[in-house]
Amino acid sequence: MRLSKLLAGLAVASVALAACGTSGGGTANKGTIKIGVDLPESGAEASDGIPTLNGVKYAVQTAGTVEGFTIEVSNLDDSVNGVHDPQKGAQNLQQFVNDSKVLGVVGPFNSSVARAEIPISNRAHLAQISPANTNQCLTKNIYIPTTLGAPKDITCKDAGILAPADLRPTGINNYFRVATTDDLQGPAMADYAVDVLKVTKLGVASDNEVYGKGIADTFSAEFKNKGGTVVLRNDFDTKSTNDFRGFLQSAKSKGAQGIYFGGTDSNKGCVVRSQASGIFAVDTPYMGGDGLQTSQCLKDAGQMASGIYAAVAAPNAEQIPESASIISGFKTAFSKKDDFGAYTMPAYDCAKILIAAIKRAIQANNGNMPSREQVRAEVAKTSDFVGALGKTSFDANGDTSQKIISIYQAKGTPVDWVWVKQINYAAK
Amino acid sequence: MAILLVLFIPRAANDPSFFVQILVYGLANGAIYALIALGYTMVYGIIELINFAHGDVFTLGAFVSLPLIGAFGLTEGQSASLGLYAALLVIAIIVMLILGGVNVLIERIAYRPLRHAPRLAPLITAVGMSFILEGLMYIWRGANNIHYPDFLPAGRISLGGSASIGYKDLIVIALAVVFVIVLTTFINRSKLGKAMRATAQDQDAAQLMGIDINRTIAATFFIGAILAGAGGIIFGLYFNTVRFDLGFQAGLFAFTAAVFGGIGNIQGAAIGGLFIGLVKAYSDGYFTSQLTDVWIFSILILVLVFRPTGLLGMRVPEK
Repeated sequence: MRLSKLLAGLAVASVALAACGTSGGGTANKGTIKIGVDLPESGAEASDGIPTLNGVKYAVQTAGTVEGFTIEVSNLDDSVNGVHDPQKGAQNLQQFVNDSKVLGVVGPFNSSVARAEIPISNRAHLAQISPANTNQCLTKNIYIPTTLGAPKDITCKDAGILAPADLRPTGINNYFRVATTDDLQGPAMADYAVDVLKVTKLGVASDNEVYGKGIADTFSAEFKNKGGTVVLRNDFDTKSTNDFRGFLQSAKSKGAQGIYFGGTDSNKGCVVRSQASGIFAVDTPYMGGDGLQTSQCLKDAGQMASGIYAAVAAPNAEQIPESASIISGFKTAFSKKDDFGAYTMPAYDCAKILIAAIKRAIQANNGNMPSREQVRAEVAKTSDFVGALGKTSFDANGDTSQKIISIYQAKGTPVDWVWVKQINYAAK
Repeated sequence: MAILLVLFIPRAANDPSFFVQILVYGLANGAIYALIALGYTMVYGIIELINFAHGDVFTLGAFVSLPLIGAFGLTEGQSASLGLYAALLVIAIIVMLILGGVNVLIERIAYRPLRHAPRLAPLITAVGMSFILEGLMYIWRGANNIHYPDFLPAGRISLGGSASIGYKDLIVIALAVVFVIVLTTFINRSKLGKAMRATAQDQDAAQLMGIDINRTIAATFFIGAILAGAGGIIFGLYFNTVRFDLGFQAGLFAFTAAVFGGIGNIQGAAIGGLFIGLVKAYSDGYFTSQLTDVWIFSILILVLVFRPTGLLGMRVPEK
């Protein structure tokens, strides 16, 4: 029923687009508008970046020409030596700023890269929408809120992290995201651990990066808030540490029923799990955020892969019946299994939101090429946009109205990620 | 230091089996550092060059062995048998020979032409060689953590309480001890070992006595690579994860171990390696891992202030 409505809507839209094209008469093509895409596209994180890039490509393919303008994807890789690099991301953004045809950017993937990029796009009034950034301090000046049991709000400044205002020299927000924040991503796993997995004592570790330490901190706060005990906390320099068994053994001897690891698979997040072999039983809960929800993680964990739980700060589009047609359309256009990833549909929505904003800006500008500021203002006005993730609106900070965390579990033979539950924090 | 001990002793006494467990991890880790440190110390001892590429030769050992494991038809999870270990031994020997060749080539291309150049020049070519090796390994296998098959037996021997030592740990420690003994005997007893000691003491005099300096130095690099290759395979079998840039940090710690024990001194490097492994394990086990490097280097500074030549004294040419 709803599906047919959507299809009908699409049909109407395409007829309308075709009508626009013909009514334009001789000036069918008014020029090119570029959407910049900045993601890690090579090395260890290509398995994150490429499926995400595909989401943008598919959105642009299906958009066709917009008000007589051709939309093009201009993608740059922000990884150096196979790992995301904030400096490279900043250079890429500068390149987009210098290209007058770029009216908006989708990306980046990593919060640390966003931190370096936002000041650059902000000065140029260039709208930037991220499919995957989750660090709370990119949009809000609260690192750990009182709702997580802190006696008073701990600000980003208190935690030694730049506040959103410091990243926006013009004072006007140009940064938006469709993923929700780590002050939900970390706590969601704590809720799941206590309510569903029924564990009360855990060891907590992190890779000591902005993202990893952030979710480990918010996880711990909520876990304690719900009556749990963190028996041991360790933030590792994962580049110089190969042996995590000292930490695991120590946590075990203090009564830990499992481990929470804040960090990414490329920072040995799942190597830690493989070393738990012989210390913790297989299937002992090992929890983390979206940084662990990758196929590489399962490879790294080896025999211990089963029993890893990961929270992802976005809804799973495959669980939304209305999105089935978008996903099947995508899978026809991009047929390989590795083409589709956890952030493909979020990236698709980012690009569609951007294209819709560009379209409104062109219309407001009497059919002419709009300015970046006009596009930015239109993105900020995004309200109840219906995409693959459901309805998205942006608040004044640039955060999505969707406060949904999806929980995944590694299980089965062969072990793979299985969606188990989503927790909606919008109502709470 | 006193504060450290005050914090540490009651906790150690409180749970002795945990203390013993960490000791086991520390010794096994230290044994691997020791194997790498031996290569640094030998090369420094003979031509006073910090061979920065050595850590990457170590990583290369693990990388080269991976396709060989496939070629020999070994698969993870197959039951332990004499055939499996014989195959691993053959693989190890092939890897050592390949790495020996690579290291001799590195010496021929990047160090030998600069032997009489200012000291800084070969130091920079060594750093360059390190980056080249890392880059090649990155292109070859990408930046992912690479799973290394687990072939060592999984059994454990109880040490009382909850502490236990794995066969894995025992094998690694035993191999390191064997390598140190063989190497020491070789350098003290064999003709080539004598030539190496002579070259280290005075190259010109050694040449006058009819020692082929180039051949002797090449042999030193060859032996260093054999140790690094063994270290790389042992690391892979022990931790089951390798990565292209592994050698950078491991090399740094191994070099520190060599200096700590007295650079140029074989036993010193072995003791230095064990020391660093133990400090790392205890720091990670009892304190936060962010302090680990602080402990290691604080102790290193203290040792060097009171014993500038390292724990067992340097063995380098007297100038």
